[in-house]
Amino acid sequence: MITRDSLYSRLLTWLLLPLLALGGLMLFQAWLDARQTADRAFDRLLEAATLAIAEQVQWQDDRLWLDLPPAALEMLATDAEERVFYAIYDNRGRFVTGNAELPGIDSDGANADDGLYYRDIQWRGLALREGVRRTRLEDWRQRERFDVRVAHTREGRERLASQLLRGNLAYILGMALLAAATLVIAIRTALAPLTRLRRAIRARDPRTLAPLELPLPRELAELRETLNELLARMRRVRANQERFIGDASHQLRTPLAGLSARAELALRQDDPTQWRQALVAMQDTSARTSRLAIQLLSLTRLDNPEYRPELSPVALDDIARQAVKQHWSACHRDGIDLGVETPQTTVKVQGLDWQLEEALGNLIDNGRRYGARRITVRVADAPPVLEVEDDGPGIPEARRLLMLRPFHRGSDDPDGSGLGLAIVDGIARTHGARLGLEDGHDGQGLRVTLIFPGALS
Amino acid sequence: MKPLALLFILLFPLTATAEAMRYPAASGPERPERLIVHGALDVAYIQPLLDDFHRRHPDIDLTYRNLDTLPLYRRFLATPDEADVLISSAMPWQYRLVNDGHARPLDTPASRDWPAWARWRQELFAFTFEPIVMVVRRELLERYGRPDSHAELLATLRDHRDDLRGRVVTYDPERSGAGYTYAIEESRLSPRYWDLIAALGDVDTSLVDTTGEMLEGLTDGRYWIGYNLLGSYAHRVVEDDPDLEMVVPDDYTLVIQRLAFMPRQAPHPRNARRFLDYLIDETGQAVIASQTALGAIHPELDGPGTADAWRAERGNALRPLTLGPGLLATLDDLKRQALLTRWRREFNRDDEDR
Repeated sequence: MITRDSLYSRLLTWLLLPLLALGGLMLFQAWLDARQTADRAFDRLLEAATLAIAEQVQWQDDRLWLDLPPAALEMLATDAEERVFYAIYDNRGRFVTGNAELPGIDSDGANADDGLYYRDIQWRGLALREGVRRTRLEDWRQRERFDVRVAHTREGRERLASQLLRGNLAYILGMALLAAATLVIAIRTALAPLTRLRRAIRARDPRTLAPLELPLPRELAELRETLNELLARMRRVRANQERFIGDASHQLRTPLAGLSARAELALRQDDPTQWRQALVAMQDTSARTSRLAIQLLSLTRLDNPEYRPELSPVALDDIARQAVKQHWSACHRDGIDLGVETPQTTVKVQGLDWQLEEALGNLIDNGRRYGARRITVRVADAPPVLEVEDDGPGIPEARRLLMLRPFHRGSDDPDGSGLGLAIVDGIARTHGARLGLEDGHDGQGLRVTLIFPGALS
Repeated sequence: MKPLALLFILLFPLTATAEAMRYPAASGPERPERLIVHGALDVAYIQPLLDDFHRRHPDIDLTYRNLDTLPLYRRFLATPDEADVLISSAMPWQYRLVNDGHARPLDTPASRDWPAWARWRQELFAFTFEPIVMVVRRELLERYGRPDSHAELLATLRDHRDDLRGRVVTYDPERSGAGYTYAIEESRLSPRYWDLIAALGDVDTSLVDTTGEMLEGLTDGRYWIGYNLLGSYAHRVVEDDPDLEMVVPDDYTLVIQRLAFMPRQAPHPRNARRFLDYLIDETGQAVIASQTALGAIHPELDGPGTADAWRAERGNALRPLTLGPGLLATLDDLKRQALLTRWRREFNRDDEDR
């Protein structure tokens, strides 16, 4: 049998199983009730028979005497033709008369009170219902105590009990069918909005991100709201992407247009020195453009949520030294003091060396570009921190968050792409590190810190 | 059990020793199937039934043992796995055995259709209908007329006490189980029964043990009135003797029935079932109606020799013993002692008064 997981079958199972258990319980109860009722009705016969016999017990010839009324025995056999047994016992438990030696109520029967007792017994392999009447002679000379014990087989009781049970059975079955039918209808009705929701989603244009609009019950309305929130987020993401693409093409178009204009201008000249100047300028522009393209590429890669690079242990101080070594000559040419501060011991984190190098490169480049005189790369221990501080103009606090967005530049510097800090932000996210933008030393300049989650020992 | 056994010895004297009949299997298999029937029913009455059954089932090796009711009962209790079918007219004793769970139920179409008043629990089946009658001699009829009811019998006994002295015979309830059963039934039926007993005592009624003895004395001419004879046995004698006449009382007539059952431990249950079914199905009952005086009770049969014929003739006067737990009261020791004490007192009452 193939079991398909569905809400419908789950609900049906979890509602029908208890219902079934309940029905079984009711049946069992009905059976007990029927038995009890039948026993109560038929115990009246035992009561009447013992009474009829007890009334005929007398004291005669110095002993208990009974003139057994046949009717007393006949009343014990109903239409079901039960087997009938009776016996009289005296106060010491001795058999006086009867057609069967029936057991008494207990072994020391002398202690029991007068009265009528019923119980089920097994006698020679027959299941009997016994009635024991413990009473005394109503005689002013003799108050001898005696037992009248009668018993009959259970056919009549069982017949009545099964009749009662059959009546109840029809009732219980009817109820169960009604309950099951109601249940099925109720579950179908309750699950109908789910089908509507599914149809509404399936019928949508796959390109649209418009919110779902259809009336639903509360529980599903929550699901619809969640879906709509997701759609709204996707709309924002798409808007961002569209803007990014627009910005990127704009950024690339400007230098390409410059290249084209310069080449056109140079072609109008006949002087080879002019050509040479133009070629130098064009080489410079194309180098910048290619750097921009590389930055765009890495930013795109960093922004991709599917991108999960495998991190390996890297030494932060090595990376810092390497970056300083790489950028030192460029800075020196511009008269910038580039320095590095590292602790005594090696600081290791999980990371990608080339990404961290690029981040440092971007930060150093930014500092150089925005007119810093001194740039310090700093590595700290516990927690591991990579930090670049400059003494340039810095960024006012209100604009720091904006700076993390691509193509947003601090000034109208035609050289900058506006991607540097956005890329650093992406790299920090990849490493699970926290990016901080603060004022530099003495409230001047900018300090960018990358605080890593934990050091590797 | 001991007092009961003693009671039996008193009630059913051994008038006949175990009488056996055997119908060997015709031929066929090495070990033929057997069937053993124990019955308190004279061979002369059951023979037509056995003959017919044997003709229908020649493969069955059939043994019938005729026992008196007491030996039958005692033998069964001693060896409950000996007989396949038990037949007896001692209704209370048969009922007691079945009540105690000694019988095996019979479930056949015939048993299901059997009238409810003639069976108990599909275990115990009454298959005959035998009224208890009076037999009177011609001498009595000529002098005092025919006593058609118990009341008329009482009047006759009272009016002609001296003439009838020693000329009346009936069962001794102390020694005869049948007599005791009739006494206890009649005492329940009519309060005037005790007047009748007193009147019987007045005429020094002879007390005997069996219907056979009564019939003998009546044929001899020793007795003029026989009271409470088994009609089925009297029938044949009266037909042969023009001096005797059978009187079926028209106020009430006791009816006793032979009861048959299969013991739970029957050694050949399949054949037991066949025989018991034969006794109550239409073929067996037709044999009873046509060839015996036992009285068939199959509802499909009517005409002479059936319960229907008796009913048509006698109507509401017939009082079959009720097949029910009331029979157990008959067997109660104290009940028996009380009844017999009363019976003796009534029987001897007027003698002492006078």
